[in-house]
Amino acid sequence: VRCAGATPLLGSRPGELDPTEEAALSAHLSTCESCRARQADLAALSQVVEDGLLVEASRRDFSGFADGVMARIPTSAWHGDAAPGPLGRLRDFVRRHRILATASALAPALAALALYLYIGRTTGTGPSGFGVEVTSEDLAAVVLETSDGPVILVGEASDGT
Amino acid sequence: MALPDLELVDRARGGDPEAFRELVVRHQRRVYAVALGIVKDRDLAWDVSQDAFVRVHQHLSEFRDEASFATWIHRITARIAIDVLRKERPSRRSDVADVPEPVLQEAAPGVLATALGTNPQETVLRRELAGRLSEALGQLPDVHRTVLVLREMDGLSYEELAERLGIPRGTVMSRLFHARKKMQALLAGYAGIDAPGAGDRS
Repeated sequence: VRCAGATPLLGSRPGELDPTEEAALSAHLSTCESCRARQADLAALSQVVEDGLLVEASRRDFSGFADGVMARIPTSAWHGDAAPGPLGRLRDFVRRHRILATASALAPALAALALYLYIGRTTGTGPSGFGVEVTSEDLAAVVLETSDGPVILVGEASDGT
Repeated sequence: MALPDLELVDRARGGDPEAFRELVVRHQRRVYAVALGIVKDRDLAWDVSQDAFVRVHQHLSEFRDEASFATWIHRITARIAIDVLRKERPSRRSDVADVPEPVLQEAAPGVLATALGTNPQETVLRRELAGRLSEALGQLPDVHRTVLVLREMDGLSYEELAERLGIPRGTVMSRLFHARKKMQALLAGYAGIDAPGAGDRS
């Protein structure tokens, strides 16, 4: 390959050229001092481009930049609407499912209570402090006021009660 | 001790505004530099940079923790800047298809590297040229400037550039070649070194 064919390949990074191009460039560079010099120019240019843009950026006063960005983000986005990372997602999951978790933890006790209430109601001797509603012969809905709001328990009556 | 970006990202996702502000402050200059390199206009670059951070916040959930936050924000910035460029300057879309032969005579091989010396941080000339970089970039057609900035500031590969700009890989290489050639000639001209015809237009 001659200089005209090699120069567009200069400045490539390892793995960017296909094997044919890579071999051609390598062979050319091994014999062409000019293209080796051009390659050095590209490295110098690369650094100047980066330095130059950062120098230009440094001339700017950024004192109000972050405030401007923050002002454009809705306040609501900082109250759980922001999408969480792995840890955040775990926190959000626990937060979102707090009621479910609480209900799960209390489920055995609540089930026993529901059964007790149902039996008490059918025998006419149960406590009357809870909102107990018999919706059918076989189902009883128990509404409990908890710190997480009302929890409705539906218990299926067993035969013979 | 400053928290790593990923920790700040995680906190921001959890709803911590100060963590996100820290990310903004940490990356704002470089983000602005990327935007400026593409759109050229300082005020437009400022707006693009702020848009980029706002969009990043909206899409924090899509950020993969194994990636670099800097790379992510730069790519979003570049995407917005390119869109802005296309909207702001529709009449110059002809640039996309118009990749002329070099309009400047090529600087002698190696002259730029030699002039800038082997210690990139120390040379006076390097600082001088860096100070005039925007001026030189401003003389490139949009398509050449964009591909060069994305390559040098964003570190995009040929394949990524092709995908981002919607052009074939060969066109990426061609645009980079012409952009670099012209920049070398311009910078050599600024430096007063072997660049006959620098600044001339064919």
